[in-house]
This record gives sequence, C-alpha cells and structure tokens, in this order.
Amino acid sequence: MHTGSPPVIETTRLAKNFGRTTALAGLDLSVRTGEVHGFLGPNGAGKSTTLRILLGLIRPTSGTARVFNLDPWMDPARAHRDVAYVPGDVSLWPNLSGGEVIDLLTGLRGGADERLRRELVDEFDFDPRRKARTYSKGNRQKAALIAAFARPARLYLLDEPSAGLDPVMDSVFRRQVQRVSGDGATVLLSSHILSEVEQLCDRVTIIRSGTAVESGTLAELRHLTRTRFRFTAATDPAVLAALPGVHDLHSDGTGTEFDADAADLGPVLEGLAAAGVTDITAAPPSLEELFMRHYTESDHAVPNGEVR
Amino acid sequence: MGAVVRLAMVLARRDRWILAVWILGIAGLGFVTSIAVAGQFGNEDERAAIISVAAASPAFLFLRGLPDGTGIGAVVFFQVYSSTAVLAGLMSTFLVVRHTRADEELGRSELIGSAPVPRVAPLAATLLVGACANLVLAGSVTAGFAAAGLPVSGSLVAGGAVGAVGLFFVAAAAVVAQVMPSGRSANGVAAGLVGAAYLVRGIGAALGTPDADMMHVKAAWPSLFSPIGWGQRSRPFSSADPVPLLVLAAAALVLAAAAVLVRNRRDLGASVLHDRYGKERAGAGGASFVGLAWRLQRSTLAGWCLAAATIGAVAGGLAPLVRDALAGNRSLKELIGRLVPGGQADVVDLLTTALLGIAGVLAAAAGIQAVLRLRAEEAEGRAELLLAVPASRARWLAGTLAIAALSVTAVATTAGTAAAVGLGLSGAGNSQGGLIVAAALAHVPAAAVFAAVTSLAFAVVPRLSSALAWGFLAVGLILGQFGELLGLPLWLQDMSPFRHSSAMPAEPFDPDGALTLTVSALAGAALAAFLIRRRDLTA
Repeated sequence: MHTGSPPVIETTRLAKNFGRTTALAGLDLSVRTGEVHGFLGPNGAGKSTTLRILLGLIRPTSGTARVFNLDPWMDPARAHRDVAYVPGDVSLWPNLSGGEVIDLLTGLRGGADERLRRELVDEFDFDPRRKARTYSKGNRQKAALIAAFARPARLYLLDEPSAGLDPVMDSVFRRQVQRVSGDGATVLLSSHILSEVEQLCDRVTIIRSGTAVESGTLAELRHLTRTRFRFTAATDPAVLAALPGVHDLHSDGTGTEFDADAADLGPVLEGLAAAGVTDITAAPPSLEELFMRHYTESDHAVPNGEVR
Repeated sequence: MGAVVRLAMVLARRDRWILAVWILGIAGLGFVTSIAVAGQFGNEDERAAIISVAAASPAFLFLRGLPDGTGIGAVVFFQVYSSTAVLAGLMSTFLVVRHTRADEELGRSELIGSAPVPRVAPLAATLLVGACANLVLAGSVTAGFAAAGLPVSGSLVAGGAVGAVGLFFVAAAAVVAQVMPSGRSANGVAAGLVGAAYLVRGIGAALGTPDADMMHVKAAWPSLFSPIGWGQRSRPFSSADPVPLLVLAAAALVLAAAAVLVRNRRDLGASVLHDRYGKERAGAGGASFVGLAWRLQRSTLAGWCLAAATIGAVAGGLAPLVRDALAGNRSLKELIGRLVPGGQADVVDLLTTALLGIAGVLAAAAGIQAVLRLRAEEAEGRAELLLAVPASRARWLAGTLAIAALSVTAVATTAGTAAAVGLGLSGAGNSQGGLIVAAALAHVPAAAVFAAVTSLAFAVVPRLSSALAWGFLAVGLILGQFGELLGLPLWLQDMSPFRHSSAMPAEPFDPDGALTLTVSALAGAALAAFLIRRRDLTA
C-alpha cells in the first residue's frame, strides 16, 4: 500500500438529512491511493448517499468530503476527471441501443479505449445492438460496467455493481477490478456480498445507520472478532465458562460449542488442554460473522460483546 | 370482476389528485365562461352581434365552434365547447396510457399479471376508471353550467357531450396503447388523435354554411369524422339531441372491445409497432450532451413538426374555399367589413393568423416537452450516470435548451412553410409566402419563454416542474383565448407570453414585444443554468 500519499477519498463527520430522515450521521471514510476499499452495509445504511455526495450530485448537510483533494460539490467537473461510476440501480435510455449508451458514457469522459471496449463487450457477452428497453437488470448493469471499465480511470466508484450478474459474469467483473487495481487505480466498492469483498478488497469500512462502525484491513477486522470452537471433552466443559473471553458456551448431544475473543485465546487454549479434549475444531472468524454481529446487535449492546 | 374493481380502486387512488385538477379545471372553465357571457353580453342584441360576426368569420368558426342561436347557453357552448372537449380528450388519453402501456413498460403490469387475475384485468380496470372519470366530468360540467344559471336540461346535454368525447378517447387511447411500444410514443399518438379531432371539427365548421340570418351555421361533412364534431351536434341549448352522444358511446364500446381483444391475444410487452434492434455504435455527436438531447428528441420533434405541417396545410387548404364562399355572398362580405376588428383585414389573413397562433402554441408545447426530458432523466436515475462525468450541470442543461430552442423554431418554421406553400398553390390571400413564414416565426419568442420558464422550474422545484410548465401553458392559453371575454384585468392578461406575440399577417410586426420576450427567455435560461448548480439531484 502507498500509505505515504494522501487519501483519494476522505470524508470527515459527513452528515446528510433528507427532510426528517437521517441518511448519514457523521461518516468518516478514508480510501488510500491504489487500494480496493470495501464499503459494506445493509440496505439503507447510507452507502449510495455517500457515493452521491462523493460525486457532487447531492450536497452534505454538514461535514466535508474530498475526492482527489477537491470538494466534489464545488468543483464536480474537475473532481470527475478521472472517475468512473456505476450506480446501484442502472437506468438507461429506453430508445438507445446498448452500444450507443456505452459510447455516450465513455465519450462524455473523453472516449473509450477501443481495444478494451471490444474485449469487455466480448467478455461480458453483451449484445450492443439491442435497445436498452429490452435489457434485463443484469444487462443494464453490464452496459454500465463496460462503460466504466472501457476507459482507464484513477478512481472507480462502484455501487453494488455485481447485483444482477450471474456467477460467470461476476467472475468477469472481479477480474476487471483486479486488472484496474493492478494498474494502480483506486476502487471503492460498495456491497453487501461478503465473499466479493473478502476476495477483492484490501481494506473494509462497515457502515451502519449512517456511521462507520468498523474500518481497517481484513486482518485487523478479524482480530476484533471471535474464533468458534467445537469440542468433546472428558470432564465437564462448564468450567470453561468461567474463563475470560468465552461466550455462548452450550452443549448438545455430540459436543460443546463456544466463541472465544481473539485477545483471550491463550488462556482459553490452556483451559481446553486441562479439560482433556478428545476432539476439537476451530473455525476462523468469517467476515460474515463480523457483518452479522454488526447488524444483529442492538444499539444498546456493549461493543466488546459482553452482552449477546 | 372482483379483481377488476379492486385494481380500479388502486388506479383511482393513484390518480385522485390529478383527475380532480383536470375535472375541476374543465368544469371551472365552463362555469367562468358562462358567467362572463351572461355578464358581458347580457342582452339579446349584443349576443346577436357577436354571433353574426362569428358566423361570418371562418377563423372564429375554426377555433371555437358552430353558432347556434342567440341564447346565453348557445353562445357559451359556442365559445367553450371545443376547448373543454379537447381537455377532456387529453385527460382521458393520458389516464389510459399511464395505466396501460406506461405501466407495462415500467414492469408494473408484470407484477399484477403474476397475480390470479385475468390477463385483461388491468386494461379493463383502466377502462372502468376512465369511464367513471368521464361520468364525474360530465356531472361536474353540468353542475358548472347549471350553477352559472344556464337551463338544467341543456347543461345536462352539454356536460354529456364533453363526457362522451372523453369516453371516446378513453377507448381510442386503449387501442393506441396496444399498438405503440412505449408510454411516451403512445401518449404522443393518442394526444395527436385529440388534436386531429379538433382540427377536423374546425375544418368542418370553417367550411360550414351559415343560414340567412347568420345566427346558425351548419357544419360541413368533415365534422362527421371528428368525435368532437359529433359532440357538437348535440346542440344542447337550442334543440338538444342526445343521439350523437349515443353514437360516440357506441363507438367507444367498439374501440374498447377491440383493445381488449388485442390485449387478450398478445404477449406482455409486445406491440404491433416495435423496435428491437438499434445501431451498434453511436453516430457522430452521440457522445455529447447536445447529441444525446437531439437523439432523444428527434423522433418526438418529427411528430410535433408533422402536427405543425398539418395546421399549416389546413390554413393553405381552407383559404381558397373560404374566399370562394365569400365571393358568392355579398352581404356576408359587407358584414365582415363592418364587424371584424381591424376593418379591412383580409378574411384569408385572419384565418391564417388564427391557425399560425395555434402553431405557436404547438411550438411552445414542443419546447416545454423538450425541456421536461431533463426531469425524466433525473427522476428515472439516468442523470446520475450523466453527471458523474467531468462536465458541469450547466452544460447538461444548455445542451437540452439548445435542442428545445431548435424544436420551437422548427415547429414554427414548418407550420409557416406549409401555410405559405398551401396559400401559394391555391393562389388565395394577399400575403407573400415570406411574410407567412415570418408570421409563424413571430411566435418563436413567446414559445421560447415557455421553454425558459420550464427550465427555471426544473432548476428550482424539480418535482413540480411538469405541473408548473403545463399549467403555465394552460393559463397562457386561457388568458389569451378567454382573457378578454372573461373581462380579466389587463395586467393579468399580459402575464401570457402569447399576448406579446405579433398576430401576423393580420397585424403588423411588433419589434418591442418580440424583443421583450426574447430577452425574458434568455434571462430565464441563464438564471436556470446558474440555479441548477445549487440543488441536490432528486428522484
């Protein structure tokens, strides 16, 4: 990571209200040059609102947003010079063909790289002659993706881009993200598909109800979460419950399960050894769990997980 | 049947405000006209004077209707029937297309089609709502006339005539919705049918034969081909006759049955006319805001120009007939010489002026429609794609305004050229061809003001832009057409841009008015370009 250079995207206490509804409530987001940054959150968390502010389409109620160190609201044309965008809900001109749409969108950014355009149309298996009126959701998505990737950009803003793509097309999309990332571009990828983020992203910001609840590399985030143990033991496993960092201990007919905090793994392993374990599995924390934890926990829960 | 009624309730709920505005507006127009006629032409002699002027002037007959005696009710019906019928037609066609082809295009029909309801249920529900809306309209128009003191029985037939025309267009639009591939094209064709019905009725009236005392005019045969003409035949306030209205209702029934039959046999989303494939690559200019605006507007503009050419051709085609009718009728000629404002204005010139005035309204509508595309782009999420590129919103707006200005000019030029060619071929009228084209272009500044005001509304209150723009056009029209009759104060009448256009060739060109309008239009557009930067994009 080029940690020395200033962030491509930087928001500070970004807030946006639509009438009485609060869409963003003080979001801090920092995306560094050259990274693929996952922007995770459930529907309505404020992901699309953030991207629209970053594009200067809407004005923040308070706080600041900088893209390439420019204010996108004051200076959208300059801020957009090296940006490619794929909206979450792609709506196209019904009477334009797919090819015309791609030429329009790349043309407004300065023209497509013809070789790239050909390859992308081919790889995405896209029929550019059909009128946009006849396209399915997936095909509209493809048109926007081809237009975004057919001209090199320094920043790609992708709002749930693989929604509507089948698994084959999804892998084409991932390859494209890896390609532009390899070329040194920065990507902000909003998503609620965890496997996509796990596979593609260097760093992740998790947003919930308009604020960032977690941000860091996947390794850092895993560190914050718990490992799940499942074991069978000779002695009564209940003694483990007294150890610090053990949660949700319960037994069924075939074994016992519990979660352990990363920080307390040492004492837990010692406790397990003392308990005379005959069989054990330990599952790494998945992003899925991390994600679920942030969405299922109520606002009143203590952050370090004392209450579950 | 239960499903149809249920769906109809949902449609009625979706439409409750917009239909209320249409219905109250139409009934209100009838009411205020009745009050105005009763107030301004209180005694019989005054009414006889204005009716005889009208009967002698094909331009008047074309615009308004058929003189039918000197009763207050008859004068009111003559003045206001055609306008209310056109509005009823537009209300009905927009209603039907909104719930049929437009819903089908947007995928809502698919959701309804997945429920256990008959395939034609959405169409049947739409027809039901359309019929009910026109029933309420007929009742409201009747109430408006009656409240203004007109005879109740006559009011009932007059209200029925307006409602019957609306009903006819409910069914006609249902057929159009089966044929056209998109909501936009279906709306265009259906509204075109309403316009054609008005024109054909106008031709029938302009060619009509006045009786000896100039108090009645009998429509010529073309009027039989217009539903608005049929409604006129009911003659509510002289010898009321509901039979023509039953003819309209029967025609509506046949058309509705045809629409249901087609819908039941076709695939969801399929249309008789369709365009599945387009070009693989954008043409030259297809990658700029102006290019996009042109690409989106060009086929619609062709439709507007076709309408404008029709109006121009009607002016050219009617002129010799009008002239010949006058040549054979000395007393009529004398009467016009005495009564028509301006005295020596040529009758052919007056007709041309009236028709080019309509072309000016058409040009304004084309401009408004071109600018309102911006709102559709924004509301349907495409502006988001467009404005993520390195270009300013002002340039986006400017591209569309350029095409709007082009549309306005093209519509006026087409109407003027068609009229000039028609008049030239027929050898009628004294005006040079160039003067006729100039007369049409004289309406461009006023029409441009409407486009500029629309862009201003879009820049400041996007969600209201459509209602404000079309409302402004309606108010401008009513002030222009009925302002004097209603005795409205001058400053209010002057709010209408059309009032400042030169009514050429009957009157000379007024450079001051044209200059004021042009400056207003440019200032409005510039202000819009400035203000568009200052708001959020809103769905």
